Amino acid sequence: MSASVNLSTNRDDRRTLVVIFLRGAADGLTLVAPVADDNYHKFRPRLAVEKEDAVPLDGTFGLHPNLRALEAAWKEGDLAIMHGAGGESDTRSHFEAQDLMEHGGPVAGGWLGRFLRTRGPSQSPLAAVAISPTLPESLSGAPSAAAVESLRDFGITPGRKGARKEDFARELARLYATEKDALRTAADNTFEALKRIEAIDTNATPANGAVYDPKFPFGQGLRQLAQLIRADVGLDAASIDLGGWDTHFTQLTTIEPLMLQLASGLASFRRDLGPRMATTTVVVMTEFGRRVAENSAFGTDHGRGGAMFVMGGGVKGGRVLGGWPGLKPEMLEGPGDLPVWNNYRNVLAPVLTQHGADAGSLAQIFPDFALQPVGLYS
Amino acid sequence: MKTASRREFLITGASALALSGAIFQSVQGWLGQAGQYAGVGLQRLLDGPLTPPTAAQLDPVAHALNRWTFGPGPGDYARVAALGPDAFLEEQLAPEKIDDGLCERATARFTECWSEPLGEAYEEDAEYLPPVLRRTAILRAVYSQRQLFEVMCEFWSDHFNIDPGKGDCRYTKISDDQEVIRAHALGNFRDMLRASALSPAMLWYLDGRANVKRTPGEKPNENYARELMELHTLGVHGGYTQHDVMEVARCLTGWTILAKKNDGYSGNLLSPLKDRAKVVFRKEAHDNGAKQVLGQEIAAGLGEGDLERVIEIVAAHPSTAQFIATKLCVRFIADEPPPAAVDAVTRAFTESRGDIKTTLRTLFGTPEFHASTGAKFKRPFHFVVSALRATNAQTDADRGLLSYLEKMGQVPFRYPTPDGYPARAQHWHSTLLWRWKFAIALANNHIKGTHIERKEFTAALGGDAAVAATLLNRQPSAEERDALVKSGDDLALLLASPAFQHC
Repeated sequence: MSASVNLSTNRDDRRTLVVIFLRGAADGLTLVAPVADDNYHKFRPRLAVEKEDAVPLDGTFGLHPNLRALEAAWKEGDLAIMHGAGGESDTRSHFEAQDLMEHGGPVAGGWLGRFLRTRGPSQSPLAAVAISPTLPESLSGAPSAAAVESLRDFGITPGRKGARKEDFARELARLYATEKDALRTAADNTFEALKRIEAIDTNATPANGAVYDPKFPFGQGLRQLAQLIRADVGLDAASIDLGGWDTHFTQLTTIEPLMLQLASGLASFRRDLGPRMATTTVVVMTEFGRRVAENSAFGTDHGRGGAMFVMGGGVKGGRVLGGWPGLKPEMLEGPGDLPVWNNYRNVLAPVLTQHGADAGSLAQIFPDFALQPVGLYS
Repeated sequence: MKTASRREFLITGASALALSGAIFQSVQGWLGQAGQYAGVGLQRLLDGPLTPPTAAQLDPVAHALNRWTFGPGPGDYARVAALGPDAFLEEQLAPEKIDDGLCERATARFTECWSEPLGEAYEEDAEYLPPVLRRTAILRAVYSQRQLFEVMCEFWSDHFNIDPGKGDCRYTKISDDQEVIRAHALGNFRDMLRASALSPAMLWYLDGRANVKRTPGEKPNENYARELMELHTLGVHGGYTQHDVMEVARCLTGWTILAKKNDGYSGNLLSPLKDRAKVVFRKEAHDNGAKQVLGQEIAAGLGEGDLERVIEIVAAHPSTAQFIATKLCVRFIADEPPPAAVDAVTRAFTESRGDIKTTLRTLFGTPEFHASTGAKFKRPFHFVVSALRATNAQTDADRGLLSYLEKMGQVPFRYPTPDGYPARAQHWHSTLLWRWKFAIALANNHIKGTHIERKEFTAALGGDAAVAATLLNRQPSAEERDALVKSGDDLALLLASPAFQHC
């Protein structure tokens, strides 16, 4: 089989969507702080990001200094941010909010799984990959989706003492060579995908001088995804989680190292992929944001609106999109939460369009929802 | 602890369930004595003849085992060869007479979830029940002696698919599995259809609970009405119109389930826990006018009687017989089933008024069925279960095993849309990589919670050649024999081979 064989469903346009879920409800007001808003500092006397420490974004916002690694992507217009992002669940329950958001509404199956299904039977055994111990609900219902913890999980490694990989693969190929039609094609595709996976040197130095901090597992996961993308194995969608954002208590000691992991991982990934970032989109999302006012334990409680990031894939970034109503006490919702004015579907929909979904597919991916896509690409 | 042999279990029959509670507290407890138990298992194998097939091609006995079970285990071929395929079919069509002690033990730890009143399911953690449902489905498929029954349960679970991931289906799907699918899998189609229409899980999944007509201007919810005809009975080209969908929806208005929170559909019926999800008919939310469904008049004022009329009309519609017959022929004969077989099965379904056993007997008697040996590509669930059965594996059906089904895209009860997992091979071809990896992992005991006794099993069967004939259901070809030797891992190659992907 020739190296020009394309295992990707989207043929000549090999695009990959990487979804990062920050589990536990990340505090959008620390990640992307409205440093110029006086009310922000009144609500957060001990936890607010100070203007002089922040990485300035525009007249209103600054990134927490631990996200400084994202400054280059922002300045180069490759990173867009949405505030007040979230879903319609107002139970403030992690489980319910994640469940609804990953399903894309009160429907069965995950939104990413439905997206993949609208593309028909997959050509590649590696069309959808989650770097995680279990498959996230968002990929539920995908034609096939692999949850793996390492790229090494993909290879065909004989388990029997004395057995040699090349012997087993050769004899397997020999048996499938007598098959006909679609099964033969599927076997050929699989052997080709395996060849490309095996050609990946998992210890190779990342490209373009990118460095993934070896002590951050999240970055190591992204590093493997970058290797997979570059190997052209037909990866359409990938999912990776970064958990631990439920910061009711001494928030800063928890969230600061997490932000470092997030930013350094994303920045290294972008640098590593280089020009391939033009066809790779990274979406960062969380189930909800946190209470605007800090609590007595130097933490924040469950809120509503959070922050969402879209990086790469042709996004017109360097902007906080979808508006910002300010932190006036009278516009807060319920117990004092940032409302949701950017429904997550309105951020995901234009991304999926960029990745080949048409209007008909979007109606299947997000049923019973009147989409008002955020202008990520205009 | 002294463990009763499997044979003793089979003899004690009725008391097996009691024993399962007393001795085998859980599958884990059982697996905790894996070595001891495995010895018992292999003794049973040594008891009976284990002679594998001697023919070079799949013979009628091998074919019967391939299609009426999730794949034969060691000794099954010899047993069915002695019995004859016809007698085996009759045995399988009377599952209630088959002792199933092994399966009962394997699923004992989950029995409570199947026997508790529906309302009590809501006391379970939201994430607890769907895995119970999935693991039990695997354990039953692997360990039950009532194989054709389990095969049909899988078939109907796809036909009346409900994903427990939607809303309260996570609490109510187990009851649906019990009261709809398993209660009628080999019974009468019309009864199953009626049970499904009144199943709390189905009322949730397809929004029947929200199908109300409380004010003159209110529009009924058509979701279930459409799927009832498109997927459960007539089929998409079965001859119904949008008007029929709307009329069926009108007929079914008012059927809902008791909820804890009044979300506008359950009315003020705030229920005590034990009545939660109980199905009720709300007269004031029912459209009691006259209707016309598929050309038949339904008089005004029938109230809840509308449902009976609808079920009768759609179940008896000629398109329904054709649609169900086609699906059965796809499952049991070929992805593109021969029209002659579909016609014969359609007639049997019609003449028996939806008797599933009669319909299956006819299907399995067609020349097209007999001619279709090895023509079906196993779906991933079938492949995995058949591999576990063929190797006499012990499994807890937990994460280690589920993760492979996940990679192949066929975790039981995890299909999101009401059409059920695809039946035809083309949807599953891209899963080969994970089948191969599963084959290697199973053969070499690299799956957490799953264990085979490779050495003992090979010795019991009488060597590598007998293992090959047992797994392939026929003698290996010269090329296969050569490949097995050269591969360095014959068991893994057998399980990964194209022959083992087919049935």
